[in-house]
Amino acid sequence: MSSIKVVGVSKRFGRTVALDNVSLEVRRGELFAILGPSGCGKTTLLRVIAGFEVPDNGQIFFDDEDVTYKRPDERGAVMVFQNWALWPHMRVYDNIAYGLKVRGLPKNEIDRRVRWVLDLLGLKGLENRYPHQLSGGQQQRVALARALVVEPRVLLLDEPLSNLDARLRLKLRGEIRKLQKELGITAIYVTHDQEEALAVADRVAVMRAGRIVEVGTPREIYSNPKKLFTAFFIGKTSVALARVEDVAGDIVYVRIGSLLIKAVNHGVQKGDRDAVVVFKAEKARSEPEWRDYVEVRGRVVVAMYMGSMVEVRLSPPGYNRDLAFYLPEIEPPKPGSQYTVYLPLNAVHAYTVGGEEDLVKELLEED
Amino acid sequence: MEAKLELTIKKLRLQMDLTSLLLYIVPLIMLLTFFVAPIASIFTGLAYFDWSLLASPFYINLKPVGAPVEIRQIYGVTLVIVKGVDMGVILNSIVNSLLVTFFATMIGTSVALLVGLYEFPGRRVLAVLASLPLLVTPFVNAYVIRLLYGFSLQGNTISYMLRSLGIPFEIGFTGLAGITLAQTLAFYPIVYINVLAALGSIDATLIEQALNLGSRGFRLIRTVVLPLVLPGILAGATLVYILSLEDVGAPIVFNYRNVMSYQVFLFFQEYTAIGRTGVAAALCLLMLLLAVVPLAVVRKYLSLKYYARLARGAPRPLKRLKLGPVGMLVAYLLVFPIVVAAAAPQIGVLILAFSERWVGALPSGFTLNNYYVLFSKPGVFRGIVNSLTYVATAIPLIAVLGFAIAYTVARIRVAGIGFLDLLSTAPLAVPGLVVAFGYFIFLHTVAQGTMLDPLVSPATVLVLAYVVRKMPFTVRSVYTGIIQTPQELEEAASCLGAKRWLTIRSIVVPLVWRSIVAGLLLSTIYVMSEVSVSVTIGALGGDIVSPSHTGPITFVIMRLIQSPSTIGGAQPQAVAAAMATILMALEALVLFVAIARLAGRGQMLISV
Repeated sequence: MSSIKVVGVSKRFGRTVALDNVSLEVRRGELFAILGPSGCGKTTLLRVIAGFEVPDNGQIFFDDEDVTYKRPDERGAVMVFQNWALWPHMRVYDNIAYGLKVRGLPKNEIDRRVRWVLDLLGLKGLENRYPHQLSGGQQQRVALARALVVEPRVLLLDEPLSNLDARLRLKLRGEIRKLQKELGITAIYVTHDQEEALAVADRVAVMRAGRIVEVGTPREIYSNPKKLFTAFFIGKTSVALARVEDVAGDIVYVRIGSLLIKAVNHGVQKGDRDAVVVFKAEKARSEPEWRDYVEVRGRVVVAMYMGSMVEVRLSPPGYNRDLAFYLPEIEPPKPGSQYTVYLPLNAVHAYTVGGEEDLVKELLEED
Repeated sequence: MEAKLELTIKKLRLQMDLTSLLLYIVPLIMLLTFFVAPIASIFTGLAYFDWSLLASPFYINLKPVGAPVEIRQIYGVTLVIVKGVDMGVILNSIVNSLLVTFFATMIGTSVALLVGLYEFPGRRVLAVLASLPLLVTPFVNAYVIRLLYGFSLQGNTISYMLRSLGIPFEIGFTGLAGITLAQTLAFYPIVYINVLAALGSIDATLIEQALNLGSRGFRLIRTVVLPLVLPGILAGATLVYILSLEDVGAPIVFNYRNVMSYQVFLFFQEYTAIGRTGVAAALCLLMLLLAVVPLAVVRKYLSLKYYARLARGAPRPLKRLKLGPVGMLVAYLLVFPIVVAAAAPQIGVLILAFSERWVGALPSGFTLNNYYVLFSKPGVFRGIVNSLTYVATAIPLIAVLGFAIAYTVARIRVAGIGFLDLLSTAPLAVPGLVVAFGYFIFLHTVAQGTMLDPLVSPATVLVLAYVVRKMPFTVRSVYTGIIQTPQELEEAASCLGAKRWLTIRSIVVPLVWRSIVAGLLLSTIYVMSEVSVSVTIGALGGDIVSPSHTGPITFVIMRLIQSPSTIGGAQPQAVAAAMATILMALEALVLFVAIARLAGRGQMLISV
């Protein structure tokens, strides 16, 4: 097991900047998730760490060893691919034994370790099957077994569950976390699924457009996002452009249209004109359930029953856009009527616009 | 500066281990030595050459000699002789190639559209007949075309049939027109299969949408189908053009010397004659330019034409449309007769192979003697032995070098890969006679007196030329196979610690062996049926009367076709046909059985 250190890594493909001065540290035995929308560079970062891509700048360290210019076969970083990359011409047993044979282990030792990992992953009895004779979940387990059996210095997982159906995904992500902790392997887990990242990881790095936006524990990332993009990207959220009324330390008072609300302050200064407000919209309720809360009132544009929750889109007075909120177990209000939702204060965050104009524009368009 | 260099070396080392270095360097050196250098050395043959010679009427004659068609009345029968005019060697070649390309494209595209888009009684028969000429039988095919449609004092088969039907009309092709006819009939299927493959890759919804909007018949074809299959048409047409330009078989059979290919061929007949070299080199260079420039233009244009694959997801195969009454008329009265006329020579080759004698309209008597002669006459049988020896030597080389190139181009990312890619496919565009001439000039000069001198050991030189000329079929097949295999399968092995050589052995080769075998089979039949180098360099090892000559099958076939006297009591042309049937059987086996099994349907087998 090694720690991983990425220092100032940049990578371009032609004109596209895939990685822009990325640095991060993964501790020994840690399960570290890289989370971001598709095309943000997270898979490229993983491939740079694995050695499949050479960075244009920067360095990669495993412990204190500089591995930047080592070939993949010299690094001991084993990857589990999104499509699992099982060799179709080899049986399960030979797929798993491959890495051990490459290492030149004696036959009985190979056999012992393959049996151990088959047992560990519940694959007993499947060793003589070919990959195409396995279900998706079994294929995923074989891919994981093939990586784990060589006891890699570093385990790299590239969207390992994205080709599975929802139920199996939930089950296997629990298994992956359990195994990683039992074996104490340093692992990086790349995913675009925020829930998966929060559920599985010790720490999460949020990536956007080739840069690391923020690193933190799942709880920090979700309930106290330091950066606007993190706030927007994690959870079901709504974004509004607001006027700054007053700044009182950790709290900022803003106006959305003519609606005055307070929000947790992230860098808004006295004298700033505008701020961006991000609501964790899934925290909304029809009654205030907290001591410190925020009230959002407006005309109902549309209300949709969605099973576990109801989506209500409100248009606050004097504001030209509408905001979506997700409330549990209510009777959908009538369109055109006035309605009020309540959110705990820690579900309403305000960020400064300065320096983030492009991102703000993008978020407002997307929302 | 030094740090930067060190960084570059470190990065290079990541891509270039010993294995990949060998896979890159060995084929590169081989192609530079045995393809680039021979072609480049053609220029050395141009020393002291007076270019104004090419402006003489023998080469370029702007006042064409002769009437293209001659009509005679003999005893109440109208005799039409189609001859073509003589515009000089260079213009003859160009005009002939353009005509062949035009006719072949028209016929090939029409047949492909009919077979690919419509359902009608006889569709399958048409499809089979149209692909028959793909079973190439060098020289013999042209010889049978001469028997069927050529002008001859003994009369030809088509006129005989017309006379039996009571039509007092005889027609015969000869001279340049004979070459145009023979090449058109032989080459149009190349356009046919390219267009058919292009049709197969069109997403059916594009055509269904057009039908849905009310477009049908010729409008549908003109506005939607043709633009979508244009890349296929162009690819096929370009190949036909190059094949026509370099073809030496039809000119030899029709004994028409005033085309460039025949003139270069003559160089090898009289290579000792001083002063021949300059003209041959100039003509080679001209042929090379005439072949490569149009190809480069078409390639450039094709690369801009990827919109046929705009639709997302796998294309849904098209449900064939019903053919309307006008379409029926065109199909049965126009397309069918042409396709039958083009397939007839292939059937004629089979008949000739079993004929006692066939020089006029009809064969007389059937026999198995031709096959007996084939195996009993040492000089004839020697051709088969030679061809098998050459194949057995060339194919392993093609396997190793072809795989190395395909893998390098597909998987290794260092500078210069594009050049290797270009070098490995370029031989497809270079006329065979140019290769033959270049080899002679180059190796006879730099390797004089050694095993690489074509005058010392034509066999060695032949094998090298075969490797260079026919390797592209293997390279492309293997390349496609590797590209279609997800790279993650190799990356998975390398991150588990496997070095490149082990990854290739344990992952790549087991996964693409079908493509390797398919490519090698294609290369095999194209080596066996190769003409240009075989009848030139191959002829340097003595004639077929000698039981130890070095000529391969195609050389023996040519000598038999040219031979005026019987051999072992058999008509030499019939023995040639018997030999050709062996080639045909081999080609049929490879093209229609083995490749279909190995590579799956719809893969373009013959294209540029």
